[in-house]
Amino acid sequence: MLGETAVVGIGETDFYRAGQAPLSEFQLACVAVKRAAEDAGIPLEDIDGYVAYSDRQDPVRLSAALGTKRTTFTAQCWGGGGNGTAHAVSIAAAAVEAGYARHVVAFRSLAQGQFGRFGRARGPLRVTGARAYTSPYGLVTPAQECAMQTRRFMHEYGVSQEALAEISLASYEHAQRNPRAVRYGQPLTREQYHDSRWIVEPFHLFDCCQESDGSAAVVITTAERAADLPSTPAYIKAAAQGMGQRAGATAFTEPEFPTAHYKIVGEELWARSGVGPADIDVAQVYENFTGPVLIGLAEMGFAPPDGIEEFVSDGNIRWPDGGLPMNTSGGNLAEAYIHGFELVTEAVRQIRGESTSQVEDAELSLVISGPGYCPGSSVLFSKDRG
Amino acid sequence: MSRFLPEAWMLPIVDDLNREFFTSGKLLLQQCVDCQTVQHPPEEVCHQCQGMEFVHVESAGRGAVYSFAVMHYPVHAELQSAVPYAVVLVQLDDHPSVRIVGNCLDVPPDEVEIDMPVQVTWETLADAETGEQLRMPQWQAIRR
Ligand SMILES: [Zn+2]
Repeated sequence: MLGETAVVGIGETDFYRAGQAPLSEFQLACVAVKRAAEDAGIPLEDIDGYVAYSDRQDPVRLSAALGTKRTTFTAQCWGGGGNGTAHAVSIAAAAVEAGYARHVVAFRSLAQGQFGRFGRARGPLRVTGARAYTSPYGLVTPAQECAMQTRRFMHEYGVSQEALAEISLASYEHAQRNPRAVRYGQPLTREQYHDSRWIVEPFHLFDCCQESDGSAAVVITTAERAADLPSTPAYIKAAAQGMGQRAGATAFTEPEFPTAHYKIVGEELWARSGVGPADIDVAQVYENFTGPVLIGLAEMGFAPPDGIEEFVSDGNIRWPDGGLPMNTSGGNLAEAYIHGFELVTEAVRQIRGESTSQVEDAELSLVISGPGYCPGSSVLFSKDRG
Repeated sequence: MSRFLPEAWMLPIVDDLNREFFTSGKLLLQQCVDCQTVQHPPEEVCHQCQGMEFVHVESAGRGAVYSFAVMHYPVHAELQSAVPYAVVLVQLDDHPSVRIVGNCLDVPPDEVEIDMPVQVTWETLADAETGEQLRMPQWQAIRR
Protein backbone atom coordinates (compact mmCIF):
# COMPACT_ATOMS: atom_id res chain seq x y z
CA MET A 1 0.00 0.00 0.00
CA LEU A 2 2.56 2.61 1.24
CA GLY A 3 1.37 5.73 -0.55
CA GLU A 4 0.05 4.01 -3.68
CA THR A 5 -3.45 5.33 -2.97
CA ALA A 6 -4.93 8.49 -1.49
CA VAL A 7 -8.10 10.14 -0.28
CA VAL A 8 -8.76 12.91 -2.77
CA GLY A 9 -12.23 14.04 -1.74
CA ILE A 10 -14.27 14.32 1.45
CA GLY A 11 -17.96 15.03 1.81
CA GLU A 12 -20.26 15.47 4.78
CA THR A 13 -23.83 16.47 5.40
CA ASP A 14 -24.71 18.76 8.25
CA PHE A 15 -24.82 16.78 11.49
CA TYR A 16 -27.98 16.54 13.60
CA ARG A 17 -29.21 15.15 16.88
CA ALA A 18 -30.90 11.78 16.30
CA GLY A 19 -34.27 12.26 14.68
CA GLN A 20 -33.69 15.86 13.59
CA ALA A 21 -32.28 15.33 10.10
CA PRO A 22 -34.60 16.75 7.44
CA LEU A 23 -33.48 13.99 5.05
CA SER A 24 -33.75 10.21 5.07
CA GLU A 25 -30.69 8.03 5.68
CA PHE A 26 -30.50 7.28 1.94
CA GLN A 27 -30.79 10.95 1.00
CA LEU A 28 -28.06 11.82 3.52
CA ALA A 29 -25.76 9.25 1.87
CA CYS A 30 -26.42 10.73 -1.58
CA VAL A 31 -25.57 14.23 -0.34
CA ALA A 32 -22.30 13.12 1.29
CA VAL A 33 -21.13 11.11 -1.74
CA LYS A 34 -22.01 13.96 -4.11
CA ARG A 35 -20.07 16.45 -2.00
CA ALA A 36 -17.07 14.09 -1.79
CA ALA A 37 -16.98 13.79 -5.59
CA GLU A 38 -17.28 17.57 -5.99
CA ASP A 39 -14.49 18.08 -3.46
CA ALA A 40 -12.32 15.61 -5.40
CA GLY A 41 -13.02 17.38 -8.69
CA ILE A 42 -14.39 14.15 -10.17
CA PRO A 43 -17.72 14.04 -12.07
CA LEU A 44 -20.22 12.20 -9.83
CA GLU A 45 -21.02 9.75 -12.62
CA ASP A 46 -17.35 8.67 -12.66
CA ILE A 47 -17.44 7.24 -9.13
CA ASP A 48 -17.19 3.52 -9.94
CA GLY A 49 -16.97 1.75 -6.58
CA TYR A 50 -18.84 1.77 -3.26
CA VAL A 51 -17.59 0.47 0.10
CA ALA A 52 -19.26 0.74 3.50
CA TYR A 53 -19.55 -1.00 6.89
CA SER A 54 -22.77 -1.81 8.76
CA ASP A 55 -24.61 0.36 6.27
CA ARG A 56 -28.14 0.06 4.93
CA GLN A 57 -27.53 1.95 1.66
CA ASP A 58 -27.29 -0.77 -0.96
CA PRO A 59 -24.88 0.27 -3.76
CA VAL A 60 -27.42 -1.06 -6.25
CA ARG A 61 -29.86 1.64 -5.18
CA LEU A 62 -27.14 4.20 -4.53
CA SER A 63 -25.45 3.86 -7.92
CA ALA A 64 -28.80 4.25 -9.67
CA ALA A 65 -29.65 7.39 -7.72
CA LEU A 66 -26.22 8.93 -8.29
CA GLY A 67 -26.07 8.28 -12.01
CA THR A 68 -23.00 6.06 -11.84
CA LYS A 69 -22.03 5.13 -15.39
CA ARG A 70 -19.91 2.05 -14.72
CA THR A 71 -19.96 0.40 -11.29
CA THR A 72 -17.07 -2.06 -11.12
CA PHE A 73 -16.58 -2.65 -7.38
CA THR A 74 -18.81 -2.97 -4.30
CA ALA A 75 -17.99 -4.31 -0.85
CA GLN A 76 -18.92 -4.04 2.79
CA CYS A 77 -16.74 -4.79 5.80
CA TRP A 78 -17.69 -7.67 8.11
CA GLY A 79 -18.27 -7.45 11.81
CA GLY A 80 -19.54 -5.23 14.56
CA GLY A 81 -20.04 -1.54 13.97
CA GLY A 82 -17.72 1.43 14.11
CA ASN A 83 -14.73 -0.90 14.09
CA GLY A 84 -15.14 -0.90 10.29
CA THR A 85 -14.45 2.77 9.49
CA ALA A 86 -10.77 2.37 8.62
CA HIS A 87 -11.30 -0.99 7.01
CA ALA A 88 -13.83 0.47 4.58
CA VAL A 89 -11.09 2.89 3.49
CA SER A 90 -8.66 -0.01 3.29
CA ILE A 91 -10.95 -2.10 1.06
CA ALA A 92 -11.46 0.88 -1.24
CA ALA A 93 -7.72 1.50 -1.42
CA ALA A 94 -7.03 -2.15 -2.20
CA ALA A 95 -9.61 -2.05 -4.98
CA VAL A 96 -8.12 0.98 -6.71
CA GLU A 97 -4.58 -0.32 -6.29
CA ALA A 98 -5.65 -3.63 -7.85
CA GLY A 99 -7.29 -1.77 -10.72
CA TYR A 100 -10.78 -3.05 -9.97
CA ALA A 101 -12.11 0.49 -9.95
CA ARG A 102 -10.78 4.01 -10.43
CA HIS A 103 -12.60 6.24 -7.94
CA VAL A 104 -14.06 4.31 -5.02
CA VAL A 105 -16.18 6.00 -2.41
CA ALA A 106 -16.17 4.78 1.21
CA PHE A 107 -19.05 6.09 3.27
CA ARG A 108 -21.46 5.73 6.17
CA SER A 109 -24.92 7.17 6.55
CA LEU A 110 -26.93 7.06 9.73
CA ALA A 111 -30.42 8.26 10.61
CA GLN A 112 -31.14 6.91 14.07
CA GLY A 113 -34.37 8.89 14.01
CA GLN A 114 -35.50 6.78 11.06
CA PHE A 115 -34.20 3.37 12.13
CA GLY A 116 -34.07 3.34 15.94
CA ARG A 117 -31.53 4.51 18.46
CA PHE A 118 -28.39 2.51 19.27
CA GLY A 119 -28.68 3.26 22.99
CA ARG A 120 -32.08 1.63 23.44
CA ALA A 121 -33.27 -1.97 23.39
CA ARG A 122 -35.00 -2.66 20.09
CA GLY A 123 -37.17 -5.47 18.85
CA PRO A 124 -39.22 -8.12 20.66
CA LEU A 125 -38.72 -9.27 24.25
CA ARG A 126 -37.52 -12.74 23.20
CA VAL A 127 -33.94 -13.37 22.23
CA THR A 128 -31.91 -16.12 20.54
CA GLY A 129 -28.25 -16.86 19.84
CA ALA A 130 -25.42 -15.32 21.86
CA ARG A 131 -27.65 -12.56 23.20
CA ALA A 132 -29.78 -15.15 25.01
CA TYR A 133 -26.93 -15.38 27.54
CA THR A 134 -26.77 -11.63 28.25
CA SER A 135 -29.96 -9.69 27.43
CA PRO A 136 -32.34 -11.57 29.79
CA TYR A 137 -30.04 -10.43 32.61
CA GLY A 138 -30.43 -6.80 31.58
CA LEU A 139 -27.23 -6.37 29.56
CA VAL A 140 -28.34 -5.16 26.15
CA THR A 141 -26.63 -2.10 24.71
CA PRO A 142 -23.09 -1.30 23.55
CA ALA A 143 -22.64 1.09 26.50
CA GLN A 144 -23.34 -1.77 28.90
CA GLU A 145 -21.04 -4.19 27.04
CA CYS A 146 -18.19 -1.68 26.97
CA ALA A 147 -18.74 -0.91 30.66
CA MET A 148 -18.09 -4.57 31.47
CA GLN A 149 -14.77 -4.45 29.57
CA THR A 150 -13.81 -1.07 31.03
CA ARG A 151 -14.52 -2.02 34.65
CA ARG A 152 -12.14 -4.97 34.44
CA PHE A 153 -9.48 -2.88 32.66
CA MET A 154 -9.66 -0.21 35.38
CA HIS A 155 -9.37 -2.91 38.06
CA GLU A 156 -6.39 -4.68 36.48
CA TYR A 157 -4.34 -1.60 35.69
CA GLY A 158 -5.31 0.88 38.42
CA VAL A 159 -7.02 3.26 35.99
CA SER A 160 -9.20 5.93 37.62
CA GLN A 161 -12.35 7.76 36.54
CA GLU A 162 -10.13 10.77 35.74
CA ALA A 163 -8.62 8.89 32.79
CA LEU A 164 -12.09 8.46 31.31
CA ALA A 165 -12.81 12.13 32.00
CA GLU A 166 -9.73 13.18 30.01
CA ILE A 167 -11.07 11.55 26.82
CA SER A 168 -14.40 13.31 27.19
CA LEU A 169 -12.95 16.70 28.12
CA ALA A 170 -10.57 16.68 25.15
CA SER A 171 -13.41 15.98 22.69
CA TYR A 172 -15.62 18.71 24.16
CA GLU A 173 -12.77 21.22 24.20
CA HIS A 174 -11.98 20.60 20.53
CA ALA A 175 -15.68 20.78 19.58
CA GLN A 176 -15.80 24.37 20.87
CA ARG A 177 -13.58 25.36 17.93
CA ASN A 178 -15.66 23.44 15.36
CA PRO A 179 -18.90 25.11 14.22
CA ARG A 180 -20.03 21.83 12.58
CA ALA A 181 -20.11 20.13 15.99
CA VAL A 182 -23.49 19.40 17.53
CA ARG A 183 -21.94 20.37 20.90
CA TYR A 184 -20.41 23.60 19.57
CA GLY A 185 -21.08 26.33 22.13
CA GLN A 186 -21.60 23.77 24.91
CA PRO A 187 -18.28 23.55 26.77
CA LEU A 188 -17.81 20.88 29.43
CA THR A 189 -15.99 21.33 32.73
CA ARG A 190 -14.45 18.58 34.81
CA GLU A 191 -17.05 19.30 37.51
CA GLN A 192 -19.91 18.96 35.03
CA TYR A 193 -18.43 15.68 33.84
CA HIS A 194 -18.31 14.20 37.34
CA ASP A 195 -21.71 15.62 38.31
CA SER A 196 -23.45 14.21 35.24
CA ARG A 197 -25.74 11.23 35.73
CA TRP A 198 -24.55 7.68 35.35
CA ILE A 199 -25.69 5.88 32.23
CA VAL A 200 -23.97 2.65 33.24
CA GLU A 201 -21.14 2.72 35.74
CA PRO A 202 -18.30 3.49 35.07
CA PHE A 203 -19.78 5.67 32.27
CA HIS A 204 -21.28 9.05 33.04
CA LEU A 205 -23.50 10.74 30.46
CA PHE A 206 -20.43 12.48 29.01
CA ASP A 207 -18.52 9.21 28.57
CA CYS A 208 -21.09 8.19 25.97
CA CYS A 209 -21.21 9.16 22.33
CA GLN A 210 -24.09 11.18 21.03
CA GLU A 211 -26.86 9.68 18.97
CA SER A 212 -26.78 11.56 15.68
CA ASP A 213 -28.01 11.68 12.12
CA GLY A 214 -25.78 12.49 9.16
CA SER A 215 -23.44 11.07 6.56
CA ALA A 216 -19.78 11.25 5.64
CA ALA A 217 -17.88 9.96 2.61
CA VAL A 218 -14.39 9.93 1.11
CA VAL A 219 -13.19 9.29 -2.44
CA ILE A 220 -10.12 7.11 -2.90
CA THR A 221 -8.01 6.78 -6.02
CA THR A 222 -4.44 5.96 -6.98
CA ALA A 223 -1.56 8.30 -6.19
CA GLU A 224 -0.99 8.74 -9.96
CA ARG A 225 -4.52 10.00 -10.57
CA ALA A 226 -4.39 12.06 -7.36
CA ALA A 227 -1.54 14.08 -8.85
CA ASP A 228 -3.92 15.42 -11.53
CA LEU A 229 -6.71 16.36 -9.08
CA PRO A 230 -7.10 19.72 -7.31
CA SER A 231 -7.08 18.66 -3.65
CA THR A 232 -4.10 17.90 -1.41
CA PRO A 233 -3.96 14.08 -1.34
CA ALA A 234 -4.04 12.30 1.99
CA TYR A 235 -1.90 9.30 1.08
CA ILE A 236 -2.80 5.98 2.64
CA LYS A 237 0.50 5.00 4.17
CA ALA A 238 -0.82 1.81 5.75
CA ALA A 239 -3.99 0.15 6.96
CA ALA A 240 -4.71 -2.93 9.01
CA GLN A 241 -7.56 -5.03 10.30
CA GLY A 242 -7.26 -7.74 12.97
CA MET A 243 -8.52 -9.85 15.82
CA GLY A 244 -6.96 -12.54 18.00
CA GLN A 245 -7.74 -16.22 18.50
CA ARG A 246 -11.35 -16.67 19.61
CA ALA A 247 -11.77 -12.90 19.78
CA GLY A 248 -15.24 -13.57 18.44
CA ALA A 249 -16.22 -15.88 21.30
CA THR A 250 -19.45 -14.45 22.64
CA ALA A 251 -20.86 -13.31 25.98
CA PHE A 252 -17.49 -12.07 27.30
CA THR A 253 -15.76 -15.45 27.01
CA GLU A 254 -12.95 -14.37 24.68
CA PRO A 255 -9.65 -15.53 26.24
CA GLU A 256 -8.26 -12.01 26.18
CA PHE A 257 -10.62 -9.98 28.32
CA PRO A 258 -10.58 -7.06 28.56
CA THR A 259 -9.47 -6.21 25.05
CA ALA A 260 -10.28 -3.58 22.46
CA HIS A 261 -9.06 -5.95 19.67
CA TYR A 262 -6.17 -3.68 18.65
CA LYS A 263 -3.00 -5.67 19.45
CA ILE A 264 -2.79 -7.34 16.04
CA VAL A 265 -3.98 -4.18 14.30
CA GLY A 266 -1.14 -2.23 15.94
CA GLU A 267 1.50 -4.84 15.15
CA GLU A 268 0.45 -4.96 11.49
CA LEU A 269 0.03 -1.22 11.05
CA TRP A 270 3.44 -0.32 12.47
CA ALA A 271 5.15 -3.13 10.50
CA ARG A 272 3.48 -2.11 7.23
CA SER A 273 4.08 1.62 7.68
CA GLY A 274 7.60 1.51 9.10
CA VAL A 275 6.69 4.10 11.72
CA GLY A 276 5.64 3.77 15.36
CA PRO A 277 3.31 5.39 17.89
CA ALA A 278 5.85 8.09 18.75
CA ASP A 279 5.87 9.28 15.12
CA ILE A 280 2.14 10.03 14.98
CA ASP A 281 1.24 13.74 14.89
CA VAL A 282 -2.52 13.53 15.43
CA ALA A 283 -5.05 10.75 16.06
CA GLN A 284 -8.79 10.25 15.71
CA VAL A 285 -9.85 7.47 18.07
CA TYR A 286 -13.45 6.31 17.84
CA GLU A 287 -15.11 7.00 21.16
CA ASN A 288 -18.36 5.13 21.43
CA PHE A 289 -17.50 5.30 25.11
CA THR A 290 -14.36 6.64 26.77
CA GLY A 291 -13.19 3.36 28.31
CA PRO A 292 -12.45 1.40 25.11
CA VAL A 293 -10.38 4.37 23.86
CA LEU A 294 -7.95 3.80 26.73
CA ILE A 295 -7.75 0.07 26.01
CA GLY A 296 -7.29 0.71 22.28
CA LEU A 297 -4.51 3.27 22.79
CA ALA A 298 -2.68 0.86 25.08
CA GLU A 299 -3.02 -2.05 22.64
CA MET A 300 -1.79 0.12 19.76
CA GLY A 301 1.34 0.76 21.82
CA PHE A 302 0.97 4.42 22.78
CA ALA A 303 1.62 3.48 26.44
CA PRO A 304 1.47 0.34 28.56
CA PRO A 305 -1.97 -0.25 30.12
CA ASP A 306 -0.79 0.85 33.56
CA GLY A 307 0.67 4.01 32.02
CA ILE A 308 -2.32 4.94 29.85
CA GLU A 309 -3.83 7.26 32.47
CA GLU A 310 -0.62 9.25 32.60
CA PHE A 311 -0.52 9.30 28.78
CA VAL A 312 -3.95 10.94 28.42
CA SER A 313 -3.49 13.33 31.37
CA ASP A 314 -1.96 16.80 31.68
CA GLY A 315 -3.30 17.92 28.31
CA ASN A 316 -1.26 15.40 26.31
CA ILE A 317 -4.23 14.58 24.02
CA ARG A 318 -5.39 18.18 23.65
CA TRP A 319 -4.74 20.69 20.89
CA PRO A 320 -2.48 22.62 20.46
CA ASP A 321 0.17 21.73 23.03
CA GLY A 322 -0.38 18.00 23.63
CA GLY A 323 2.00 15.37 22.37
CA LEU A 324 -0.85 13.58 20.58
CA PRO A 325 -3.87 15.81 19.96
CA MET A 326 -6.84 13.47 19.69
CA ASN A 327 -10.34 13.76 18.23
CA THR A 328 -9.64 17.27 17.03
CA SER A 329 -13.12 17.85 15.57
CA GLY A 330 -14.85 16.85 18.80
CA GLY A 331 -15.25 13.24 17.72
CA ASN A 332 -18.21 10.98 18.37
CA LEU A 333 -18.71 12.54 21.79
CA ALA A 334 -19.01 16.18 20.83
CA GLU A 335 -18.97 16.68 17.04
CA ALA A 336 -21.43 13.99 15.93
CA TYR A 337 -21.76 10.23 15.93
CA ILE A 338 -21.81 9.32 12.25
CA HIS A 339 -20.74 5.85 13.29
CA GLY A 340 -17.19 7.18 13.40
CA PHE A 341 -16.81 8.04 9.74
CA GLU A 342 -16.66 11.75 10.64
CA LEU A 343 -13.32 10.82 12.28
CA VAL A 344 -11.97 9.64 8.92
CA THR A 345 -12.85 12.94 7.24
CA GLU A 346 -11.23 14.82 10.14
CA ALA A 347 -8.04 12.77 9.82
CA VAL A 348 -7.91 13.80 6.13
CA ARG A 349 -8.49 17.46 7.02
CA GLN A 350 -5.47 17.30 9.34
CA ILE A 351 -3.28 16.25 6.39
CA ARG A 352 -4.76 19.02 4.24
CA GLY A 353 -4.29 21.67 6.95
CA GLU A 354 -8.06 22.28 7.16
CA SER A 355 -8.99 21.24 10.71
CA THR A 356 -10.48 23.77 13.12
CA SER A 357 -7.88 22.45 15.58
CA GLN A 358 -5.12 22.10 13.03
CA VAL A 359 -1.94 20.41 14.23
CA GLU A 360 0.95 22.37 12.79
CA ASP A 361 2.77 20.53 9.98
CA ALA A 362 0.84 17.31 10.57
CA GLU A 363 2.60 14.63 8.52
CA LEU A 364 1.09 11.45 9.96
CA SER A 365 -2.61 11.34 10.81
CA LEU A 366 -4.04 8.17 12.39
CA VAL A 367 -7.56 6.72 12.64
CA ILE A 368 -8.32 4.03 15.19
CA SER A 369 -11.78 2.63 14.43
CA GLY A 370 -14.19 1.41 17.08
CA PRO A 371 -12.20 -0.20 19.90
CA GLY A 372 -14.15 -2.84 21.80
CA TYR A 373 -15.65 -4.67 18.85
CA CYS A 374 -13.88 -7.01 16.45
CA PRO A 375 -12.22 -7.09 14.06
CA GLY A 376 -10.51 -3.80 14.86
CA SER A 377 -9.13 -1.64 12.07
CA SER A 378 -6.88 1.36 11.62
CA VAL A 379 -5.63 3.55 8.78
CA LEU A 380 -2.66 5.90 8.67
CA PHE A 381 -2.69 8.92 6.34
CA SER A 382 0.49 10.75 5.35
CA LYS A 383 1.22 14.08 3.72
CA ASP A 384 4.19 12.67 1.82
CA ARG A 385 3.71 9.83 -0.58
CA GLY A 386 6.76 7.84 0.57
CA MET B 1 -39.47 -16.87 43.77
CA SER B 2 -40.16 -13.82 41.68
CA ARG B 3 -37.81 -12.64 39.01
CA PHE B 4 -34.87 -10.32 39.76
CA LEU B 5 -35.72 -8.16 36.75
CA PRO B 6 -39.36 -7.27 35.92
CA GLU B 7 -41.49 -10.28 34.95
CA ALA B 8 -42.17 -8.94 31.46
CA TRP B 9 -38.49 -8.41 30.65
CA MET B 10 -36.70 -10.32 27.90
CA LEU B 11 -36.46 -14.12 27.92
CA PRO B 12 -34.31 -16.52 25.93
CA ILE B 13 -35.97 -18.61 23.25
CA VAL B 14 -35.07 -22.19 24.08
CA ASP B 15 -33.43 -24.12 21.24
CA ASP B 16 -31.37 -27.28 20.79
CA LEU B 17 -28.11 -25.54 21.72
CA ASN B 18 -29.24 -23.78 24.89
CA ARG B 19 -31.95 -26.15 26.24
CA GLU B 20 -29.80 -27.75 28.98
CA PHE B 21 -28.41 -24.41 30.13
CA PHE B 22 -31.78 -22.66 30.43
CA THR B 23 -34.12 -25.46 31.48
CA SER B 24 -32.28 -28.16 33.49
CA GLY B 25 -31.84 -26.35 36.78
CA LYS B 26 -28.22 -27.52 36.76
CA LEU B 27 -25.22 -25.58 35.55
CA LEU B 28 -24.65 -27.82 32.53
CA LEU B 29 -21.79 -26.77 30.26
CA GLN B 30 -21.06 -27.98 26.76
CA GLN B 31 -18.11 -30.37 26.49
CA CYS B 32 -16.52 -31.58 23.26
CA VAL B 33 -16.57 -35.39 22.90
CA ASP B 34 -13.36 -35.40 20.87
CA CYS B 35 -11.06 -33.13 22.92
CA GLN B 36 -12.98 -32.68 26.22
CA THR B 37 -12.80 -28.89 26.01
CA VAL B 38 -15.56 -27.16 27.94
CA GLN B 39 -16.90 -24.05 26.22
CA HIS B 40 -19.62 -21.52 26.95
CA PRO B 41 -21.88 -20.35 25.43
CA PRO B 42 -22.58 -23.65 23.66
CA GLU B 43 -21.60 -23.53 20.01
CA GLU B 44 -22.20 -25.64 16.92
CA VAL B 45 -18.46 -26.29 16.58
CA CYS B 46 -15.74 -26.89 19.19
CA HIS B 47 -13.40 -23.90 19.08
CA GLN B 48 -10.40 -26.11 19.93
CA CYS B 49 -10.71 -29.10 17.59
CA GLN B 50 -13.74 -28.26 15.39
CA GLY B 51 -15.55 -31.31 16.77
CA MET B 52 -19.31 -31.30 16.43
CA GLU B 53 -20.36 -33.87 19.02
CA PHE B 54 -20.97 -32.68 22.54
CA VAL B 55 -21.99 -33.88 25.96
CA HIS B 56 -22.66 -31.79 29.06
CA VAL B 57 -20.68 -31.56 32.28
CA GLU B 58 -22.10 -30.11 35.46
CA SER B 59 -20.22 -27.29 37.16
CA ALA B 60 -20.22 -27.04 40.94
CA GLY B 61 -21.47 -23.50 40.34
CA ARG B 62 -19.00 -21.59 42.43
CA GLY B 63 -16.91 -18.71 41.16
CA ALA B 64 -15.96 -15.08 41.57
CA VAL B 65 -17.08 -11.83 40.00
CA TYR B 66 -14.65 -11.14 37.15
CA SER B 67 -16.27 -7.85 36.12
CA PHE B 68 -19.58 -6.06 36.50
CA ALA B 69 -21.56 -3.09 35.27
CA VAL B 70 -24.17 -1.07 37.14
CA MET B 71 -27.07 0.00 34.94
CA HIS B 72 -28.68 3.35 35.73
CA TYR B 73 -30.29 4.34 32.45
CA PRO B 74 -33.23 2.04 31.61
CA VAL B 75 -32.65 1.01 28.01
CA HIS B 76 -36.24 -0.24 27.73
CA ALA B 77 -39.51 0.87 29.35
CA GLU B 78 -39.80 -2.53 31.08
CA LEU B 79 -36.55 -1.82 32.96
CA GLN B 80 -37.69 1.52 34.35
CA SER B 81 -38.58 0.03 37.74
CA ALA B 82 -35.42 -2.11 37.88
CA VAL B 83 -32.65 0.51 37.72
CA PRO B 84 -30.16 0.75 39.24
CA TYR B 85 -29.18 -2.90 38.95
CA ALA B 86 -25.86 -4.71 38.52
CA VAL B 87 -24.96 -7.31 35.90
CA VAL B 88 -22.08 -9.53 36.93
CA LEU B 89 -19.66 -11.62 34.88
CA VAL B 90 -18.76 -14.73 36.91
CA GLN B 91 -15.63 -16.78 36.32
CA LEU B 92 -16.16 -20.39 37.43
CA ASP B 93 -13.75 -22.00 39.91
CA ASP B 94 -13.94 -25.43 38.28
CA HIS B 95 -13.84 -24.17 34.65
CA PRO B 96 -11.81 -20.91 34.67
CA SER B 97 -12.13 -20.49 30.90
CA VAL B 98 -15.88 -20.15 31.37
CA ARG B 99 -17.48 -16.84 32.29
CA ILE B 100 -21.22 -16.52 32.79
CA VAL B 101 -23.36 -13.38 32.81
CA GLY B 102 -26.02 -12.97 35.48
CA ASN B 103 -27.29 -10.89 38.36
CA CYS B 104 -26.20 -11.10 41.98
CA LEU B 105 -29.56 -11.47 43.68
CA ASP B 106 -28.66 -10.65 47.28
CA VAL B 107 -26.09 -7.87 46.87
CA PRO B 108 -27.08 -4.21 46.28
CA PRO B 109 -25.54 -2.76 43.11
CA ASP B 110 -23.24 -0.40 44.99
CA GLU B 111 -21.76 -3.31 46.97
CA VAL B 112 -20.82 -5.56 44.04
CA GLU B 113 -17.05 -5.92 43.72
CA ILE B 114 -14.58 -7.70 41.46
CA ASP B 115 -13.31 -10.99 43.03
CA MET B 116 -16.43 -11.30 45.21
CA PRO B 117 -17.09 -15.07 45.67
CA VAL B 118 -20.50 -16.23 44.44
CA GLN B 119 -22.46 -19.42 43.97
CA VAL B 120 -25.17 -20.29 41.52
CA THR B 121 -28.85 -20.09 42.40
CA TRP B 122 -31.94 -20.43 40.23
CA GLU B 123 -34.86 -18.43 38.95
CA THR B 124 -37.84 -20.47 37.81
CA LEU B 125 -39.76 -18.67 35.10
CA ALA B 126 -42.53 -19.61 32.74
CA ASP B 127 -42.64 -18.16 29.24
CA ALA B 128 -46.36 -17.46 28.84
CA GLU B 129 -45.98 -17.15 25.05
CA THR B 130 -44.31 -20.49 24.44
CA GLY B 131 -45.33 -22.42 27.57
CA GLU B 132 -41.64 -23.18 28.13
CA GLN B 133 -40.49 -23.64 31.75
CA LEU B 134 -37.17 -21.86 32.27
CA ARG B 135 -34.59 -22.39 35.02
CA MET B 136 -32.27 -19.42 34.71
CA PRO B 137 -28.90 -19.51 36.49
CA GLN B 138 -28.36 -16.56 38.82
CA TRP B 139 -25.86 -15.80 41.59
CA GLN B 140 -25.67 -15.10 45.28
CA ALA B 141 -22.77 -14.04 47.46
CA ILE B 142 -20.86 -16.66 49.44
CA ARG B 143 -20.77 -15.16 52.93
CA ARG B 144 -17.87 -16.07 55.16
ZN1 LIG C 1 -12.96 -30.30 20.69
